[in-house]
Amino acid sequence: MRKWKFSVNSGFLGRRRDRFTEYQPDRTLEEKFKLAKQVRGIDGIELKYPADLKDIKLAKRLLEESGLVCSAVNVDIKDAAFFRYGALSAQSKEARDRAASLLREGMDIASELGAGLVTTCPLADGYDYPFQIDYSVAWQRFVETVMEVVSYRRDMKLALEFQPHEPHAKILLSNVGKVLHICSEVGLPNLGANLDIGHSFAAGESPAESAALLASKERLFYIHTNDNTGEGGDWDMISGTVHFWHLLELLYTLDRIGYEGWLGGDVTSKHIGPVEAFDTNTRMIQRMAQLVDRMGTEKITSLIHKDGGLAETFDYLSRCLVEKEI
Amino acid sequence: MNKLAIITAFLGAVKNRYMTYQEDRPLPEKFQMASKVEGIDGLELCYPADFENLEKLKELLKKFDFDISAINFRSRRTGKWWRGSFTSVSEKERKEFIDEVKQVMDVAVELGCNRITTCPLNDGTDSLFEMDYIRAYDDAAETFSSACAHNRRIRVCIEYKESDPRARCLFGNAGETASFCQMVGADNLGVTLDVGHALYTGERPAQSAVLLSKANRLFYVHLNDNDARWDWDMLPGSYHMWEFIEMFYYLQQLGYNDDWYAFDVFPKEIDTVDTFKAVVMLTQKLEGLTDRINPEEIERLMKERNPAKTIPYLYSLL
Repeated sequence: MRKWKFSVNSGFLGRRRDRFTEYQPDRTLEEKFKLAKQVRGIDGIELKYPADLKDIKLAKRLLEESGLVCSAVNVDIKDAAFFRYGALSAQSKEARDRAASLLREGMDIASELGAGLVTTCPLADGYDYPFQIDYSVAWQRFVETVMEVVSYRRDMKLALEFQPHEPHAKILLSNVGKVLHICSEVGLPNLGANLDIGHSFAAGESPAESAALLASKERLFYIHTNDNTGEGGDWDMISGTVHFWHLLELLYTLDRIGYEGWLGGDVTSKHIGPVEAFDTNTRMIQRMAQLVDRMGTEKITSLIHKDGGLAETFDYLSRCLVEKEI
Repeated sequence: MNKLAIITAFLGAVKNRYMTYQEDRPLPEKFQMASKVEGIDGLELCYPADFENLEKLKELLKKFDFDISAINFRSRRTGKWWRGSFTSVSEKERKEFIDEVKQVMDVAVELGCNRITTCPLNDGTDSLFEMDYIRAYDDAAETFSSACAHNRRIRVCIEYKESDPRARCLFGNAGETASFCQMVGADNLGVTLDVGHALYTGERPAQSAVLLSKANRLFYVHLNDNDARWDWDMLPGSYHMWEFIEMFYYLQQLGYNDDWYAFDVFPKEIDTVDTFKAVVMLTQKLEGLTDRINPEEIERLMKERNPAKTIPYLYSLL
């Protein structure tokens, strides 16, 4: 069976909030590591920059002591104090420069911590209303700023995480197609995607298709695992609690394409604790992966290669779920 | 002509998962700001936030000559009702909810307001098999029934919303809420139709207004807009101009024309007073456009059911 690499996103180990409610207390980096260590099956931790990485020595020490690998440095470029009107695509050169320098700093830190990549979700780059921004200019700036960042260090990867909306009604980088577009515009091999499964559902995609598309262009750098109801809300729920078959399809696809990157847990704990939330998320994926193993990647491939064979495919797949034939 | 109110919570800091927009402001400043918006007749007050000092609140209402469109009873609170209020598994928490609603009904009487509204955001679920729906509906019915019996002259309105902060709230759309009200059977239990919530749950607001009215449950209307994917609380008509016009037309027909519209619009990056000035101006424009519709002509066109004639007629009014 393929060995998957699991990590937790430190952002979900501290305080979270939504529009109406706050969940969990603020926690120090030491406390976050302590929690991460309690999650079974975890090999790595994704750290936020700047929030978690104000003291690099401390982060290094905690990584060493915990035996966890830094799976990625997640750079926050949505701070309202600087990016109220955009970051990578902002009209203000000052805002663009600040976003680019945060990402460059993130690359240096990631390199120092032994992580191969930086990921960022450009949520400040979006709009609410028609006639609010000049799309041509905004996209041109977006591409130019990203090009500048990935040119800074060719030995470090930048994984862009798309999301259809929030906090703006429309985010520029809203789906897998736009990530592929910017990768092709920039044309450098160290630019790729962080495929957040929930964002992909929220964008109306099948994550397995998105993964296959990204992999075909060698742009699938990183994955965030979670689930949601598929109506647009990014609920960061435990993987497989809604889209069971879609997640099986994704794991099958990842096996097919030989994905060797991280499966970074990105689930909110809300009323349950973060350890329980991440633990369950990991177990659910491990068991689904075990199921894919039982079903057999080659066997599934042979079934879906038959046109019109849907009944046979699901007959086979569902039979694998039960021990004894009914 | 309906009177116009701003919900006080939208005159201070507004938040989403990632950002905080504007700043927290004391109540007198909120009154001051609302008074700068021409066309605003009153406020929808939020309980408990605005009720720390009832005497001062009365003074402010008098000083600024504002009426109260409704008292917005928060069913989600910091530090309590963590897993729902009227659907809580805990009988003690449900009792607390009833007691507080009764208190607010008494305060409403004291302030000369006959309506309280609540948006049951935290009463719902994220996961499957999280809540026993049978128990939850029974407890909700018993709780609202008991609260409504306290004073039949105060209208209690449930503002439905599909999600947030729960992935699925218990009252997600007009049909579910009307059906619940009928199940409870109290004449003073009804619905707040929030246009944004209706749009993002896939409804035509005009149709929802008619359905609720026919069930005698159309108690109150909130105005805002969105892209039908999320509750963005945007300027009315910025996405759904014709939906607003259709709804305004039917509200006239249904006799909801001597009541209140309350606004919940996110000021975000734009100045709060400027935002609500635009909100009032847009509402009046949309009402003006609605008034251009000749009822006889539109009735005749609707009998024909020919959009190739109806839609050009509507565009001829612009």
